[in-house]
This record gives sequence, structure tokens and C-alpha cells, in this order.
Amino acid sequence: MTEENVIEIHNLQKTYDKGKIKALNGIDLEIKKGEFISIMGPSGSGKSTLLNMIGALDRAEEGTIKVAGIDLMKTRDLSEFRSQEIGFVFQMHNLVPNLSVLENVEIPMYETRVKSEEMRRRALELLEAVGLKDKADKNPTKLSGGERQRVAIARALVNHPSIILADEPTGALDSKTGDVILNLLKSLHSKEQVTLVMVTHEPYVAEMADRILHVLDGKINNSS
Amino acid sequence: MIKNPFRNRTRATLAIIGIAIGIATIVALGMVTGGLQSSTQSTLKAGSAEITVTKIGSGNFGSSGGVLDESLVTDLKNTNGVKDTAGILRVNSNVSTSSGGSGFGSMGGFLVNGIDSSKLALVGIDSVNGTIFTNGSSNEIIIGKTVAQNLNKTVGSTIDIYGTEFEVTGIFESGNFIYDTGAFTSLSTLQNLTNNTGKVSYIQVKVNDNANASQVSKTIQDERPNDLSATTAVDQANRINQSLGMIDTASWAISLLAIVIGGVGVINTMIMSVFERTREIGVLKAVGWKDRRILGMILGESIILTLVAAVVGIILGIVAVEIIFKLFITSQSFEAVLTMDTLLKAFGVALLVGIVGGLYPAYRASRLAPTEALRYE
Ligand SMILES: Nc1ncnc2c1ncn2[C@@H]1O[C@H](COP(=O)(O)OP(=O)(O)O)[C@@H](O)[C@H]1O
Ligand SMILES: [Mg+2]
Repeated sequence: MTEENVIEIHNLQKTYDKGKIKALNGIDLEIKKGEFISIMGPSGSGKSTLLNMIGALDRAEEGTIKVAGIDLMKTRDLSEFRSQEIGFVFQMHNLVPNLSVLENVEIPMYETRVKSEEMRRRALELLEAVGLKDKADKNPTKLSGGERQRVAIARALVNHPSIILADEPTGALDSKTGDVILNLLKSLHSKEQVTLVMVTHEPYVAEMADRILHVLDGKINNSS
Repeated sequence: MIKNPFRNRTRATLAIIGIAIGIATIVALGMVTGGLQSSTQSTLKAGSAEITVTKIGSGNFGSSGGVLDESLVTDLKNTNGVKDTAGILRVNSNVSTSSGGSGFGSMGGFLVNGIDSSKLALVGIDSVNGTIFTNGSSNEIIIGKTVAQNLNKTVGSTIDIYGTEFEVTGIFESGNFIYDTGAFTSLSTLQNLTNNTGKVSYIQVKVNDNANASQVSKTIQDERPNDLSATTAVDQANRINQSLGMIDTASWAISLLAIVIGGVGVINTMIMSVFERTREIGVLKAVGWKDRRILGMILGESIILTLVAAVVGIILGIVAVEIIFKLFITSQSFEAVLTMDTLLKAFGVALLVGIVGGLYPAYRASRLAPTEALRYE
């Protein structure tokens, strides 16, 4: 593993339904620290599965995958890795409905040794960065779709992760709101010097990235 | 997080009601047992008589008719092993309510006991606030502290009994519930007033320090098998303890039932809750929550649910007992007592139901595959 590669994947394979569905069929991929990568590809091609592998939400059957220096095939308990190194932003339903906006941003810190005042301070700082400090005590159900995604972004950054994984973060938003979210992600990416891997369907969105990966039938299509 | 168990109001309410009813039953039975216990403990007071002698076929304390000849008081005193005896005539005061009592008088008055004033120690009265009544026809009376409270009487007040005015010379607290809700006056006065000259309702027998109460009781019984019935305080306590034991067993059986039924209710509630929150659990895992924390969260919610049910159940149980006692049980028998034991048992059972019922759903939640959970809409 080279110094600046934060993600290194070789021949990664993942099947579902006892091998009937080949979701990932030999992925080879290297991503440098601080890179902004966008992933495109038809529905069902394996984009989300790839993101979930990088974020250690599931394990692959074959191949190797190293993220932030950690061998995900060999490490037993990956919850700490997830909390320390990864920030997820999903398409929707990112937030826990019964918790306040502030508490939603705090939850990744529960598994750390951060004290509760510090948790609060850090969460408010990030809510301010996404322009939602005044909504901290609101329930997420009272927020608009765009606001919810901003809260999810704040939460993704709260533990200073090395990688943000965003799976169609604007997919459920209108294009105007979507642009706000993209600009926010992009500016935070450069400011926090975090690696950003984003799945998107929109070519113009993908163009904002340093590099575009095309996924087809569980493989990375290098023709582009 | 605390609010989570109550997200689905109807389901949470149903589960809480189910467990609360079980807990209420435990508390109610516990209060009855507690009351019986404290009343038996007081009858076993040191210094008082160990044996009660009544006419055969009459009630425990001779309250349901069947009087004895007063000459027996002296006869029994000459029995082997007997230290002292006291004849007691017991009648109902039928006191009028005009004296301003808080409903107490309307329950049919209190029990008035006639006794030789020198024998009060035998019924457990060793100190009196004020002075003891004098023997003879002085129309003096001492009343139990419960009577004093209920009828609003103090030393110097008068009480009307069988059309005669009695002056309250003292107020006592024997610790025996039955006596404290009654009064004592001169035996001869009461005999004359109620046309019971030369009669007593029952005789209290104190045995010698080195004598065995059961043996003396048996001797008395054997000498007059067709006439008298003798019971020791220990016998009585045993009898009450037996019923206490039965209530206790019933209480444990109900606890068990509450655990099973409540447990099933909690399992159901929590499984549904976990099912509905699949996506949320996926998110928590994605942000790095350990399986253990998710297990703890669901288990904690389950316990909160049952502890709320415990509080509701305890209140329900207390209210139910208060109502039942007010309606059906006159204050002459005994009071319900809520002991720490009962409270601990109620909370213990609730906690157990919370843990037993929450464990499986919590385990299920902790083992959810994050990717599956996140695909769930
Ligand atoms: N948990 C799962 N169980 C079964 N099949 C799955 C699961 N996750 C993904 N798949 C399947 O794997 C393939 C890739 O899915 P996914 O990675 O979600 O695609 P994309 O995000 O590109 O639309 C699809 O055929 C999908 O149905
Ligand atoms: Mg997808």
C-alpha cells in the first residue's frame, strides 16, 4: 500500500442470495487521499455494494480491500473503523426520527471517548458549517429534504473521518436543492481535506469530481 | 432515546396495562400480607397473656356471643403453670356519630372491653397517656389511640356508651390493632351496664415464666373439653402465618404469570418496534455503533417500558386496596400495609419482565446486517 492511497481494492467479489447474484465481480480500484471520486453506472450495477464494502458495512467473499490502512477482510470488529474513518451520507432516511437534529449529529461520537459537552460543541460547530445551527433542537421530521441531507453531511464529518461515502446524496432532491448539497459537499471536501466518494446518476454532477468511475455488472469499466 | 418505547402509543399502552395489572395484583396482595403480618406481630407482645380461653363454639375473642362465668377466672388461675388470668367482657359500643367522628362511628362503633384495671398488662397495655380508669362504678374509660383520632377525643372528653356518659381518663397505644381500635373500662361497670353481671366474654391467661404455653393451653382444654376452647397466641400466629403463606404463594404464582404474560407482551412490542426501526438501526450501525450498544439500547427501552408499568401498577394496586378496604373492611380488623419488600418485589418483577421480554428483540436488533437494514425502506 502506497503512502497516499487511502483505498486499495483488488479483485473484490461479493455475491448475494447464496452466490446467485454477483453484485461485485472483481473490482480493482485505488483512491488517493483527498481525492474526489464520483461513481456512475446503471441501477443494480453494484455501486452501493461497492460503497458498502469500502465503508465496512458488509464483507466481501474474495479479493483484498484496505481502507485507511486497515485490512477489512481480516479485521474482526469493524464498528470502530466505521466510526473513526468513515462518514456515510445516504440518499434518504439518514436521520433517526425520534432524536433532535443535534443528537443526530452527535450519535457517531457515542462510541468515542468524547465528553458530552465536547460532543455538543463539535456537533454545533458542524451544524453551523452546514448553516443549520438554529435548527439544532428541532426534530428531523420538521426539516426539508435538503436540510436533512445537510444534517447528514454534518454527522458524516463529526468524527473527522478520512473518507466520506455519499450514495446518491441528491437523488431525492430537486435539482436546485441538490446543487446546494453538492456545493456544500465539495467545499467541505476541500476544507476538511477528506476523501470523497460519491455515487451519482447526473453526468454534470459527476463532472465536478477529480475522477469518474463507471461501474457495470459489478466491474469497473475503464474505457472512459 | 427515552421516548422511543412510546413511539407507538397504542402498543406501548397495551403492554403497560398488561404488566401494570400483574404488578397491581402483586402490590395488593403484598399490602394485605403486610397488614396481616403487622397485626400478628403485635399480638405476640411480651408481657401479655399467651393463652386466650373462650366458650367453645364462639369466635376467637368471644365477640360473637357465648359468655363465660366469671368464677372461671379464679379457677383457671389455680391451674398448674398459670401465673395470672384476666376476665374480659367485650361489647360493641354502638356509639352515636353525633360526636363528630369521621365516619368511624357509622361503622357500628368500636369494641369496649371491661377488665380489672390491675390486669391491663395482660392485654399488652403497659402505659397510658393520662390515668387508668378506677375499678367500680366511676364511669371512667381509656381509649385506644385510633379511637381517639377517629372520634376526636382527648383526655377529659366524654363518650356516650349504652346511654351512660363515660369520661376519657387516658389514651393508650398497645400496638395491637384490635385493642387500639377499642376501649377499656372497669369490668363491673360494663357488666352492670350490659346486664352481664358475673359474665366475661373471654379469659386471658399468662403462664409462668418457665411453663410451656401450649402445654398449659392443653391442660385447660382437657379439663373442660365440652365447655372451653383455649388457643395460644402462637397457635393463632401460626394459623395466620399459614394463610399468609398461602397468600404469599398466590402472590408468587401471579408474579410468575405476570412475568410470562408481560414478557410475551414486551417481546411483541419490542419486536414490532425493532422491525419498524430497521432502517434506523442500519444508520446507527453505519455511524459505528457496536452491536452491544444497540443491544443495550433496545434492552434499555424494554426496561423503561416495564418500569413505567411498575409505577402505574403500584399506584393501581394501592388505589384498589384503599377502595376495597374502605368499602368492605371495617377498621376494626386490620390495615393494609405497603412494605418496602412489596415495592422491591414489584420493581423486581417489572425489571425481570423488561429483561426477559427485551433480550430477544434486542439480540435480533444487534444482529441485523447493516446492508440489509439500509436497503429496508
Ligand atoms: N442485501 C442484498 N441482498 C440481496 N441482493 C442484493 C443486496 N444488496 C444488493 N443486492 C443486489 O446486488 C446487485 C447490486 O446492487 P447495488 O449495489 O445496490 O446496485 P446499485 O447501487 O448500483 O443500484 C443488485 O442486483 C441488487 O439487487
Ligand atoms: Mg444504489
